[in-house]
Amino acid sequence: MHAVVDSLAMIAVSYVMGFLFYGFYRQLNARVQRRWGPSIWQNFFDNMKFFFKSETLTHGPMFFFGPMIIMAGAFTTVLFVPFLKDSDWLQGFSQYGNLILIIYLLVVGPLGNALAVGSSGNPFGVMGVTRGLTRLMGLEVPFFLGLALVMLQHETTSVHAIMAAQDGLANWGLVTNPIAFCVILLPFIASQNGSPFDVVGAPVEVYAGPRVEFGGRLLGVLMTQNMMMSIAKLVLVVDLFMGGATNILVLIGKAFALFLLTTVVSMVFPRLKTEQAVDFFWKVPLGLGVLAVILTVWLPSWSA
Amino acid sequence: MYHKTQCEGFQCEQAMLEVPDGVEAVREGVLDRLIAWMRQKSLFVLAYGTGCGAIEMRPLMTSRFDAERFGVIGAATPRQADVLIISGYLALKTLRRVIRSYEQMQEPKYVIALGSCTINGGMYWDSYNTVKQVDRYIPVDIYINGCMPRPEALIEGFVALQARIKNGEKGGYHHYRENIDWYKANQRKVLGDQVPPAYTYDWYHAGDVA
Amino acid sequence: MSWMLRLLFLAVSLSPAALLMAWDADLSWPLIEGVRLSLTLTPLAGFFLVLLALVAPLIALPMLRRPSDVPSLVLFVLLLIGMQLLLLAGDFVSFFIGWEVMTWSSYLLLLRSPRTDMVTSQSYILFNLASAFLLLAGILVFYSVTGDFLIRAATEVSRPQALSLVVLFGLAFLIKAGTLPLHIWIPRSYDQAPDLFSAFLSGSISKMGVYGLILLLTLFPDALTGFAGRFLNGPAVGYLLAWVGVITSIVATFKAISQEDMKRLLAYSSIAQVGYITTAIGVGSSLALAGALYLALVHTLVKVLLFISVAGIVLQTGQRRFNDLGRLIERMPISFFGVLIGIIGLAGMPPLPGFAAKYLVFVSLVDARWLLLLAAMILASTAAFIYCYKLVYAPFLGHANSPEAREAREAPWPYLVPQVILMGLLVLFGLFPGLAIDVLIDPVLVGLQMAPIGSESWAKLSTAYGGYDGVVLMLVFGTAFALVTGLFLLLRGRMRRAGSPHDLSFAGEVPTAETPLHYGAGMGRELRRIPLVGWILRQGTQGFYLGLAGQMRAAAALLGTLYVGRPQTWILIAVVVFALSLAVQAMMGGL
Repeated sequence: MHAVVDSLAMIAVSYVMGFLFYGFYRQLNARVQRRWGPSIWQNFFDNMKFFFKSETLTHGPMFFFGPMIIMAGAFTTVLFVPFLKDSDWLQGFSQYGNLILIIYLLVVGPLGNALAVGSSGNPFGVMGVTRGLTRLMGLEVPFFLGLALVMLQHETTSVHAIMAAQDGLANWGLVTNPIAFCVILLPFIASQNGSPFDVVGAPVEVYAGPRVEFGGRLLGVLMTQNMMMSIAKLVLVVDLFMGGATNILVLIGKAFALFLLTTVVSMVFPRLKTEQAVDFFWKVPLGLGVLAVILTVWLPSWSA
Repeated sequence: MYHKTQCEGFQCEQAMLEVPDGVEAVREGVLDRLIAWMRQKSLFVLAYGTGCGAIEMRPLMTSRFDAERFGVIGAATPRQADVLIISGYLALKTLRRVIRSYEQMQEPKYVIALGSCTINGGMYWDSYNTVKQVDRYIPVDIYINGCMPRPEALIEGFVALQARIKNGEKGGYHHYRENIDWYKANQRKVLGDQVPPAYTYDWYHAGDVA
Repeated sequence: MSWMLRLLFLAVSLSPAALLMAWDADLSWPLIEGVRLSLTLTPLAGFFLVLLALVAPLIALPMLRRPSDVPSLVLFVLLLIGMQLLLLAGDFVSFFIGWEVMTWSSYLLLLRSPRTDMVTSQSYILFNLASAFLLLAGILVFYSVTGDFLIRAATEVSRPQALSLVVLFGLAFLIKAGTLPLHIWIPRSYDQAPDLFSAFLSGSISKMGVYGLILLLTLFPDALTGFAGRFLNGPAVGYLLAWVGVITSIVATFKAISQEDMKRLLAYSSIAQVGYITTAIGVGSSLALAGALYLALVHTLVKVLLFISVAGIVLQTGQRRFNDLGRLIERMPISFFGVLIGIIGLAGMPPLPGFAAKYLVFVSLVDARWLLLLAAMILASTAAFIYCYKLVYAPFLGHANSPEAREAREAPWPYLVPQVILMGLLVLFGLFPGLAIDVLIDPVLVGLQMAPIGSESWAKLSTAYGGYDGVVLMLVFGTAFALVTGLFLLLRGRMRRAGSPHDLSFAGEVPTAETPLHYGAGMGRELRRIPLVGWILRQGTQGFYLGLAGQMRAAAALLGTLYVGRPQTWILIAVVVFALSLAVQAMMGGL
């Protein structure tokens, strides 16, 4: 019973945080561009509008199940990320998982959806999927390397243990392992679909993209999972680098601070092409990662 | 929809645009009212740049006029869009694409026709290749007249459309579904065998109405 | 062919399983003076025998389909017997006999395909004979050092002897496993071999190279650490081997992405997967070996599944290029699920066991503190998503691109039964990641005198670094899926099926059957614009060998300048060499 209530609470929290954060993002973006922007609830309205569209087109069973898979993947990801530390609540099933599993769960959904895109038969959609997979190939290398530095630092893959080791500001991953945070920051923005790495969906700009054939309620599902997945990733980074949170307000505060950081980065940069993005990831963040490995792993072992 | 039977003059037209009467409402319960309210808060626009009116849509979306504060934002493909803006005159070539795009949108869907050209052909009234009355081929929910109408007028049109959606009035798509044969006959008359293939509309006949 | 023969063939294909059940003693008899043949079943060999026992009948079943090729069946039986001999061998003589029987019977089987051309067969036999002769040389050195042929830990050898042994054996096994740059025979032969035999080549025969590499670790227990000490938290020699493996997998992955033929893509992906296994063996810790064995298990199941599915497609459509297929999901649904489950396992996605295997390897790399290797491996395994997607998209999704693909029917049941069994096995191992650890892998680790991984329950994979629970994962995902689908269907509104596959949002246009809508072969082509990937794809191993040949020729020409036509120069050289050798002898104190 506890598990069920807890799971539902986690899903609700991540959904509410999701649309409020993105609503805030849209408003902040508008203010930076010297306009008023929509209300903070705009993402909720958009989402609900899609859920209550009276018509939804499908291209067959696989097309229908793709968004279901991606949504189930988002739920599973949310449930495997511990939201709070030292608490019985908002834990989901996180004690049965680990960091590597979470990273892989983040891609299960999009790959399931890629099947749906393929079965729609729209070549523009498949182009978008290929772009997405290519970008994934670029971002995952430095992202995983940064997380591996954290795993090495704490000698565990358990998010709980990493969170528990960061008691107090002085032990935050941000303080003890800042270079790892720098390594993951840009790939993290890319994994959030943030500009300048948002060429995959390329909202409002390019016809091609994984969502080209999705409309109506299916698009609503895709939108919902995107918001929830973003929150799961934010909370994960908060857990790993910002000491986790002991209650929901602290969690929202920390996640919001992190969100603000990624937002201000993505707000001022124009979109990169896919191959530019991949090349960038393999040069700058990965180079930084190699430097981090040399500094924090090789040098200590040689001097010892 | 606007008909010239009741009064004349710009002020009168504007008033009729904003407070239409005699339009059938399909409102039912609280949930429908709520949904309608959410719907009007969020309009994704497929801006079909057919004519010179497309120029007016860019400033609408950008900082100066900022349509996003009304929940109006661009969509990339017809599948995601709620509102189709026909921006200016339609040639026969573009009419085919417009019909195709309109039929690919998911209901509820609305059409805004921008500029005089969509009403009576405007300055192309005697062109051999221009569609004079868009209303004969796809149902138009809101006309915005002018040549060209300024972005403020476009915003006015969006607000009027939002008011209609909020009131739960029947959209043009109902009209399209109910009179599909008439619309198709008109389309066939000008397009000949260039008319979009049957599979894009034959489900309108199937009768499985939501 | 009568049903008796078929039954006999099936029985023989079950022989590895029977052997596994019935074997409980060691056989040994003298061959000639001082040389004893011995057959024994070590836990390590037992593991690979399990793989063989799983795979052999599953491939034998579709091979029996009429009209069957009798010589192929005979050769397959021979091949099975050779491999069992190889695995049972307790001494190097029977090991070598098994190796040779395997090489020759597989070569002749390869020739049974009408598509096999001269280049393929030549490269296959050249590389495999090179492997066999290197093995033979290694065995002879081993005999001269230890004085007998028994496969056991060689403790008394000196360092140069051990080094030469490791190089000889290592090269022999690496050729079989197909690491860079020794892989050149693999893509061709996997592509052109009879479709079902490709499954066996990739699933089982490549594992013999892996078996040999792990066997090498048992021959020289401190080989990895003994030669060059340790690097960070792992063996320095292993670090090199691991990089060889990882570079193999990166290059092979990008090559796989750029292929336009299903079987060739699978061949390259096979090279990449064996590259991971090589990496894990290089790490050499108990976690890593568990990962290597787990990967071997998953790779066997997955590749046999994929190759059989692909064989079914080729059988039904006659097409093997991505360009010529498409939209088979409605016509061949079971094959679709076969390929789907296969690529999920291949990509290492949870909850299938590919993830458990990759997890073990990743953790072992973190444990060895080899993070750069980990990053390189992540690169290969993420890039693998692209070819996995291509493999499922191009034949099954999109639009049918040839008349055959439009009219294909589901593969016949002998092709489907193995697929269903393999899917079941993959799901089973995915639900219970501890099952394979507990039943298959821990006994091997204990046999190798390493710490077993252990598992509290079959549902759990647990390491010192943390683990995960397969059953909970699957349950959460399944419940979420059911919940989401249910809620979605509860929402109001109408679902409408598109009236035609061409009802696409296509920028207002109306695509027709003539519009090129299938994105099969083009997928991944734009990857070349990424500088690193473009560079990798421009290089060819053939270029490497041509360059090597050129260098050899140049060196020979240089050497040839010594042999000028004048006899007095020869005499001069002879005198100089004689004097030099005398001087060396004198300095060494030989005189």
